[in-house]
Amino acid sequence: MQNFVNTLARMMAILGGLVLSALIVMVCLSVLGRGGNTFANWDALEAAMPGLSAALLSTGIGPVPGDFEVVEAGIAFAIFAFLPLCQLKNAHATVDVFTSLMPKSFNTFLKAFWEILLTLAILLITWRLGVGLMDKIDNGETTFILGFPKWWGYAASFVAALVASFVALYCATIRTQAALKGQPSVLDADEAR
Amino acid sequence: MSMLELGFWSFPVLLLLIFLRAPIGLAMFGMGAAGIWLALGSPDVVLAKLKNESFSTFSSYSLTIIPMFLLMGQFATLSGMSSALFKAAESWLGHRKGGVAMASVGACAGFGAICGSSLATAATMSKVALPEMKRYGYSGGFSTATLAAGGTLGILIPPSVILVIYAILTEQNIAKLFLAAFIPGLLAALGYMLTIAIYVRLYPDAAGTRPPVPYAERIAALLKVWPVLLVFGVVVGGIYLGWFTPTEGAAVGAFGTGLIAFLSGNLTWALFKDAILATASTTGMIFFIILGAALYNSFLALTQVPQELANYVLGLGLTPWLVLVMILVFYLIFGCVMDSLSMILLTIPIFFPVISAMDFGLVDLAALQAGLANEVLAAGVPDGMGQEMLESIKAAIASGAELTREQMKALDIRMTQGMANRIEAEYLAIWFGILVLIVVEVGLITPPVGMNLFIINTMDSETPMIDTYKSVLFFVGSDLFRVALLVLFPSITLFVLTL
Repeated sequence: MQNFVNTLARMMAILGGLVLSALIVMVCLSVLGRGGNTFANWDALEAAMPGLSAALLSTGIGPVPGDFEVVEAGIAFAIFAFLPLCQLKNAHATVDVFTSLMPKSFNTFLKAFWEILLTLAILLITWRLGVGLMDKIDNGETTFILGFPKWWGYAASFVAALVASFVALYCATIRTQAALKGQPSVLDADEAR
Repeated sequence: MSMLELGFWSFPVLLLLIFLRAPIGLAMFGMGAAGIWLALGSPDVVLAKLKNESFSTFSSYSLTIIPMFLLMGQFATLSGMSSALFKAAESWLGHRKGGVAMASVGACAGFGAICGSSLATAATMSKVALPEMKRYGYSGGFSTATLAAGGTLGILIPPSVILVIYAILTEQNIAKLFLAAFIPGLLAALGYMLTIAIYVRLYPDAAGTRPPVPYAERIAALLKVWPVLLVFGVVVGGIYLGWFTPTEGAAVGAFGTGLIAFLSGNLTWALFKDAILATASTTGMIFFIILGAALYNSFLALTQVPQELANYVLGLGLTPWLVLVMILVFYLIFGCVMDSLSMILLTIPIFFPVISAMDFGLVDLAALQAGLANEVLAAGVPDGMGQEMLESIKAAIASGAELTREQMKALDIRMTQGMANRIEAEYLAIWFGILVLIVVEVGLITPPVGMNLFIINTMDSETPMIDTYKSVLFFVGSDLFRVALLVLFPSITLFVLTL
């Protein structure tokens, strides 16, 4: 089970990372295209080399239309896809100066407690995102320039959020079991490695 | 309980939860949701808000900069540029007293120009610089302290993830903040080098020596760092000159750094995966806090605590400088226990309205008008301006008086009190942002819990933590001195904006 969850979280993160990389490449192409378009329309170039200017323009060089709409939908998915790994590696920012002064067993208990609340929060977020998704399907809202349905972005994010919920439930179970047994959990053994 | 009381008490409760090890994002998320529920007496608004809140926060175009800069930092660590930078700095400085340490600081500054994170800078540069410092007989504590301090340059020198967050929270121009951070960042590097020079005079045994390197080698080493300069120049320059938006700049930077890493042959599929995984867990962590902060801040805005607090502080009649110093001291203390990003997200919505209500006199209307008037007059006296008018304008400029409406009309310039106030507000936001950025970074190297100290200590198991603590205090001192300097002379930070 632990191997499965581990692989799942890593695969989601890598998928998110590939989407992020693709967005980076697309934005760079858009910047290049816009630069090329400005260059082709440059008065000095049109005067000196009208042939080159026209040839460039005829290729349809220009920014990627509606690139930011793709960025917005894509990055939301990427970040939701990063959450399972963040959960599994317990990468959430905490202040542990004060609790480090308290006994280990207390900390094990505290970790389990927060993990359960965190899981509830992620379940809440996923549930409401799902309701939001239904809203977007019902009202048929589309993006301004490319005109693709807004629910596509929500749907992709919702799938990633479901994985995050699953991983969160798993982590909460493991930590609660460990706290009840009074032992550090296997998740912490992972961290130390 | 009134809404205002509810909002006010939420803050200490939130801090208590955080000190009890609650994940910071979760604590803010929970307080925000519970607070709105209690304030409005029903969970409906929270539930309705959450239908879109998470998606719209995560899909924010301007926040896309953060994962892009983080990935850029990961690529930077793979690019081999850390050792090229160190070799270049070391060949120029290494033969001086404490020179290898100074070179480490210089290389950290260079690395900070392509990496927006302190921990990554400290960790990456330590791999290269620690063994070299050991080899030339530098003491363990001095070496680790130098790198811990040098690491903070990663975030002081743009691009900087924290400045991006600050810019978004306070609705400021990211390009201007980056530009304003540049001089204080360089001052930090110089300050650290000066600290090293003083340290090796006090403790001559802490540093070894080595013979100078021939100039031909130095220049050859320097030429190898051109990709860093190119990426930094294109990203920061391009954003500032308006070639592209900050998000596009981050994408160009990430792509460029990725390309350098690929060409250096270090970017294998396995390492690319590691880079993604590291970016993923940090991004997930940051965005979960941003989501929590968004919810908590809408609760605070609902209770109107930030405005009321600003009015209250204004009503106390304290001098603005005292308020500023109190806030900075608060950050210094909290920075010792909390990570900088969480602290910014937690406190800027509360402190920024307070500071914005203060008048620091950063901008003088008469001086702005005189500047514009001198520009016009330098190009020649405008047609149709009478001798009498010219004399009166010159007299006003000389005496530092504000120009009258007729005088401005004759010069064809416009600079009203309202315009000066807007400039003042912007300058204040930028200046305060840079100061906060520096003081929260000091927390990274303050014993006993500075994060940079821990990172470096795990990389050098031979040096006892206490040795690092002793030496790092010198660098903390240099930081505090710099903060005092920047507080007393706002123009050090702001003059680049007037160019």
